[in-house]
Amino acid sequence: MVTREIQVGQQLEPFVIDSVDPEPMKTMAAILQDPNPIHFDTNVTRELGLGDHPVNQGPTNLTWLTEFVQRFAGGPDRLVTLKVRFLGNVLGGDRFECTGTVTAVDHDAGVAELEVGATSDGRPALGGTAVIKLAD
Amino acid sequence: MSDYGHLAGHRFPGGTYTLPPWLSWLWADACKLEPDWRTAHQGLAYLVALRGAGVSIQDIFDLMDATADSGVVFGEFQVDYHGVLRPGTTYDCEAEVVEVERKSGRRAGVFDKLTFQVKVREEGSDDMTIVCTNSWIFPRAEGE
Repeated sequence: MVTREIQVGQQLEPFVIDSVDPEPMKTMAAILQDPNPIHFDTNVTRELGLGDHPVNQGPTNLTWLTEFVQRFAGGPDRLVTLKVRFLGNVLGGDRFECTGTVTAVDHDAGVAELEVGATSDGRPALGGTAVIKLAD
Repeated sequence: MSDYGHLAGHRFPGGTYTLPPWLSWLWADACKLEPDWRTAHQGLAYLVALRGAGVSIQDIFDLMDATADSGVVFGEFQVDYHGVLRPGTTYDCEAEVVEVERKSGRRAGVFDKLTFQVKVREEGSDDMTIVCTNSWIFPRAEGE
């Protein structure tokens, strides 16, 4: 849990998926009722010039970034705001990594602001900001 | 070129959405995270908001006269959290278009940025659980 000793410039512990597994993309396609075959049919991704790897769903990437922030914050009830821009595709087999920095701390309000982002095999995938509650 | 600015204030059907416990469990499992029957992952805010808005992706395309192959992409996604999502809970949802802006960029060309917001409360409660604000980008050809 984030204590009041948190400091501007502090780096968050990275969240890493060593190799994005294509298999769960099929489950996620069914859950989302997302018919786009780029998430599960590599014949289509090849035809579209996207290569041999399916494209991970944006909501999965978003969930990983959310997990990254809430681990640092100390739990899901400590999230205040998460604002995300989608910058690029995450492909099956990629190394996905979230990183972040504390950019502001407001002790009176009991909140901290973070700059967060994610890369996929080094390419920008997500960028954004978050606000979290500090521990009492 | 058509102007979609008049869509600001357009209300989606909204209604109620019950978050199925099995779906919450599978969501976490598909994301390689530890599933929890008591607490849904906050990343499910995206799905709760979309289902709660009472519209499909195709409905939104239709509203903007777009098709699935017209290059529509996510812009930004913001969640304001006031509580934790829970499996099996029914949520009351209200959704409306906040604004549609016509923009242009050197690389992106002309596009419309549609922003819509979904307010989610536990059924019968006045207290907000989450507020999701989405923007989607609709590329436009000249003269469209």
